[in-house]
Amino acid sequence: MEIHDERIGDTFVITAKGRLDGGASATFAERIGSLITSEKPKLLIDFAGVDFVTSAGLRAVLLLVKKVKAAGGSFALCAVQEPVREVFDITGFAGMFSIHAARAEAIAAMGG
Amino acid sequence: MTSGPMRFEGATLPTPEAVAAFIENVTEFLDRNGVDMRASHHTSLVLSEILTNLATHGACRDRLAKIVIAVAPDRVTGEITDSGPPFDPRLAPEPSLDADIEDRPIGGLGLFLVRKLTTALEYARRNDENSLTFAVSRAGSRDSTGAGKDPRPD
Repeated sequence: MEIHDERIGDTFVITAKGRLDGGASATFAERIGSLITSEKPKLLIDFAGVDFVTSAGLRAVLLLVKKVKAAGGSFALCAVQEPVREVFDITGFAGMFSIHAARAEAIAAMGG
Repeated sequence: MTSGPMRFEGATLPTPEAVAAFIENVTEFLDRNGVDMRASHHTSLVLSEILTNLATHGACRDRLAKIVIAVAPDRVTGEITDSGPPFDPRLAPEPSLDADIEDRPIGGLGLFLVRKLTTALEYARRNDENSLTFAVSRAGSRDSTGAGKDPRPD
C-alpha cells in the first residue's frame, strides 16, 4: 500500500492507495499514527485509491480513530469506494467518524 | 491452480503473503468474467477472512486450503476446504457494534463480515475436513437474500 501525507491548513491529509489487508494494516496504522504528535490533531484520509479493506484494515482504522479521539482531535475519511463503504456501514464504523464524498468538502467540514 | 471460463480452482497456505497473492488471482479471475466490483470485492473479502482465520485460529498454517470459485449469472459461489480442527464460522460470537469508540473491541469483525456479506453460508465436516460454502449476490440479481439457494459451486 502507498501512503502519502501533506498538510493543508491545520489538517493532515493522507492519500492511501492499494489494499488495506493483513499485510498492510500495521504499516498503515504506524505511518499515519506517527502524525499524531500534538493535541487536537485533524486527520483526513483520502480512500479513493483503496479498493480492498479487510477486518485487519478495519482494526488499523479503529486504532487511529481511538488515538485521534484520545488526543481530542477529529478524524474523517473521504472518497470511499462503494464496496468499502458498505463494509464500514455493516460494521458500524460509519457511525464513528465522518465519511465525506470528496476531499474538498471534507477539508471544508474539518475547518482546514 | 486451474481455471476455466467460469470456474477457478486453487490451493493456498493460509499465511498472509500467500493469501494476498491468492486473492489477487481470484480478483483477476472475477474481473475477467465480468463480475461487478461489489461482488468481486465481497468474494475476495470473504475468502481473505476465512483463510486468515485458518492461520490464526485453525492451527493449520502449514496445511493447504483448497478453494473453488464459480461465477453464475446471479451470484458468485465458493467452497473452502481445510484439514484443520472442526470449526463452524457461522457460530462465532457476534461482535459488539454499538459500543463507544473507547470500549469498542479491536477484534471479532472478520467472521462477522463473512456472515453479513454472503447470501448463503453452509458448513459441513466431512472426511476430517471442514467444508465451507458461500454465495455472494451479483449486481442486478433479483435474489438479494439467497434464501433456499444451494451455495455449492456448480
